[in-house]
Amino acid sequence: MELRSGSDEEGRVLRLVESCGVPSIPLSPAEGYLLSRIDGRTPWGVLRQMGGLPAADVDLCLRRWLAQGLLEAADASDGASGGPPSADDLLDSSLDLPVEAQQRILAFEARLDRPYHEILGVSREADAKIVKRAYFELSKEFHPDRYFRREIGPYAARLSRVFARIAEAYELLSDPAARAEIERGLDPAPAQTTDRAEAAAPVAGLAQSASAARRARAALHPGQLRRLAERKGRSRRFFEAGMVAFEGGRWLEASASVRLAIAFDPSNQAFKDAFGPVQRKASDERGKQLVEQAERALDHNDFRDALRSYEESLVHRPHDPGANFEAARLLLHFGEDLKRAKEYAARACELVPDSASHRRLLGKVYRAAGLVANARRELEAALRIDPMDGAARAELRALA
Amino acid sequence: MGRVIGIDLGTTNSCVAVMESGQPTVLPNAGGYKTTPSMVALTADGKRLVGHLAKRQAITNSRNTVHAAKRLIGRRFDSAETQQMIALAPYEVVRGPNDDPRIKLGEKVFTCPEIGSIILREMKRVAEEALGEPVRDAVITVPAYFNDSQRQCTKDAGRIAGLEVLRIINEPTAAALAYGFGKRKDEKIAVYDLGGGTFDISILELGSGVLEVHSTGGSPFLGGEDFDRRIVASVIDRYQQAEGIDLRGDPMALQRLKDAAEKAKCDLSVRETTEISLPFIASDASGPKHLNLELTRVALEAMVDDVVRQTVKLVEQCLADAELQPGDIDQVILVGGQTRMPLVQNAVAELFGKRPHKGVNPDEVVAVGAALQGEALLTEDKSLLLLDVTPLSLGIGTMGGHFARLIDRNTTVPVRKQHVFTTTRDGQSAVKIRVLQGESETAAENDLLGEFVLSGIRPAPKGEPAIEVSFDIDANGIVSVSARDTDTGKEQSITVNATGTLSEEEISRIIEEQELYEVQIRS
Repeated sequence: MELRSGSDEEGRVLRLVESCGVPSIPLSPAEGYLLSRIDGRTPWGVLRQMGGLPAADVDLCLRRWLAQGLLEAADASDGASGGPPSADDLLDSSLDLPVEAQQRILAFEARLDRPYHEILGVSREADAKIVKRAYFELSKEFHPDRYFRREIGPYAARLSRVFARIAEAYELLSDPAARAEIERGLDPAPAQTTDRAEAAAPVAGLAQSASAARRARAALHPGQLRRLAERKGRSRRFFEAGMVAFEGGRWLEASASVRLAIAFDPSNQAFKDAFGPVQRKASDERGKQLVEQAERALDHNDFRDALRSYEESLVHRPHDPGANFEAARLLLHFGEDLKRAKEYAARACELVPDSASHRRLLGKVYRAAGLVANARRELEAALRIDPMDGAARAELRALA
Repeated sequence: MGRVIGIDLGTTNSCVAVMESGQPTVLPNAGGYKTTPSMVALTADGKRLVGHLAKRQAITNSRNTVHAAKRLIGRRFDSAETQQMIALAPYEVVRGPNDDPRIKLGEKVFTCPEIGSIILREMKRVAEEALGEPVRDAVITVPAYFNDSQRQCTKDAGRIAGLEVLRIINEPTAAALAYGFGKRKDEKIAVYDLGGGTFDISILELGSGVLEVHSTGGSPFLGGEDFDRRIVASVIDRYQQAEGIDLRGDPMALQRLKDAAEKAKCDLSVRETTEISLPFIASDASGPKHLNLELTRVALEAMVDDVVRQTVKLVEQCLADAELQPGDIDQVILVGGQTRMPLVQNAVAELFGKRPHKGVNPDEVVAVGAALQGEALLTEDKSLLLLDVTPLSLGIGTMGGHFARLIDRNTTVPVRKQHVFTTTRDGQSAVKIRVLQGESETAAENDLLGEFVLSGIRPAPKGEPAIEVSFDIDANGIVSVSARDTDTGKEQSITVNATGTLSEEEISRIIEEQELYEVQIRS
């Protein structure tokens, strides 16, 4: 028996891929903290010790983010940055390993958290023979012996991880009992239509995916298992709280809870499925809150705050004609970004085509921008809708 | 790059093969024999003899002639196997500093890896003479049941012999590789390997250039030598009844009896009766005494029937592990000289419902498979891949003397499993872990691979530190251990307290000695 120490990841330095939309991924505060520590200088081993997350979870997060293209290696030799988030930075033509083989290994490694069927590339109908053939074919490509005694650098560790996962997938899928359980877990929750049912469906799915995961967990070691159980327990509690809030119409609370549930159990598809409708409701709610906030600011003649709140509300509720109108009016008031003012005003007109005041505002924006013909057209349209609109008439006169 | 040789380092005989223009070829030694006795001797004038030369003088110099050292390699001095060997072997076995058995020849004490290395060096020389070029790379086979220490010691023996050991592979797996070479068919294969000292059974599957081991089993206590021992015991009894002389206390007579028993056994594979004739086996007041006895095949079969039935039980167990019925097996391959015995062949045929495959030579097939694996590892053409398994469960000793399994036997290697350890006392700074291999639920009944102390654990309340220990089994079946504090991510220091294998320093020292010795005999 031998003793070994050190890991190949220890010294790797990572940085964020600039073009990547970081906030679009749901993160727990601890994960967010970890992400905030990645600066292109701190090695992996140090990140493990930053606190917030246990080291094993740091490894999992970093590997996942690497696979998702959120992070890339920040090698000293690499001067040019801001390139695509692809794995190209990891390719090394100096190795005794063809670049195409490197690409295939990286691509496979990025999918290691996929369901076992996808790992082996077999359908649910595949019989034992097909599963075995797939395993043999993948083994021929990814078994570490394929590159025996060759200088393949970090790809040795990658191959080990890839092959370990392939062997695990084969072991489970060639065991009929384990496979049946895994496949039960893959069954999607039945489709639902109403809001009320949307809230209920993921809860049903939760129980199913829990049984599916049981078998997969059997492959984990006890330490991982304990942490996983803890995380899953927390995750489930968040999700249940989210569903209660959802039924009570507290959309924002529901959304925050489901977001946390996903952060603690990113593999749970039921949570992700539930997130969509919850998120839409919550977003709508947030939009309404912002409009109220803007109206209060207007009451206090705090136009800057009002404008900011209206514009933010439009992110959540882009089709609110009132908010579009008010945002355009305030922008015109400040005379700053007339292009944006025009967009808002035009959208308000689209949403309520027979409003003279909306047309008039659009006309005024055009006038301020010096687009006389457009201004005249809109003001005349306003007058056609409401011939008694004195303000529009006055504007038209001012144009001439 | 030189060629890679495959060496079957057997208990009684060894064999070496190489790939020659795409075909596996067994290399004969200077005497023209394709197998070489796994024997080492030290003569009265201090010369080292290996192989046939050692065997030829074994009777007259039995105290300084080592045979079956493979039964001792990687074992502990106090183990039942070692004690059994001490009782049987005419040479002297002493306790080494690592609690390992060592062999005393003349004034010098040899470690078991050293004895193995002398045989391996001989096989290397056989190959170099036959090929006319230097050889460095080798694949060496071991019985499937060999544990980590036995594999490690075998690998060390290769290093001492000046070989680069590419891989340690299991003998039955090698046999299946040799059988499957060039075959495109999908088949399920059973390898029944009854060698001199051991019995191995493996169930494998061949398909699209991949050979996958399903399950492996067997016994380190079953083999052709058990047959010999039964014959010897029976002959001694009969002689004592007839002549009133007990030969048990006479090592020289025992050695002669053993050789005669082996020969009689081989005879009875092709004949119905044979004669054991040992002139001057003893003497009493009336002068020299001779031994002349007839032995029949029927009598032999009655003596060893239970041994053969034991192997059948182990085959059934192995089939059950692979979740297969005997009828599912497409091909049965016999390995080991003992499978030439009609009783064994019939038992196997009856169990599987088909005659065993005849196309391979049971004495050479393992070395051929080793050469094939060596070629498969080094060549660019990756048309052959071996997916082997670990034959023994790996685990740790827990409270109350129990054995906690971490890696089940028959798991495909390479494999890695992690386990988190914590402290049981506040402020505890070290944790001791005993790593074991075996199938018993009781820790003491399994093989102890090593004892580790995880030290420098940061001070914390009990149960809080989480030390993650990774257990790896590589493609050779060799275990390695590393540890990490999961909260800080720091590598945890580990020290070995006990292991049956040699330390790096010992290996280096032995290699140096060997080189001196090489220089001596050449000058």
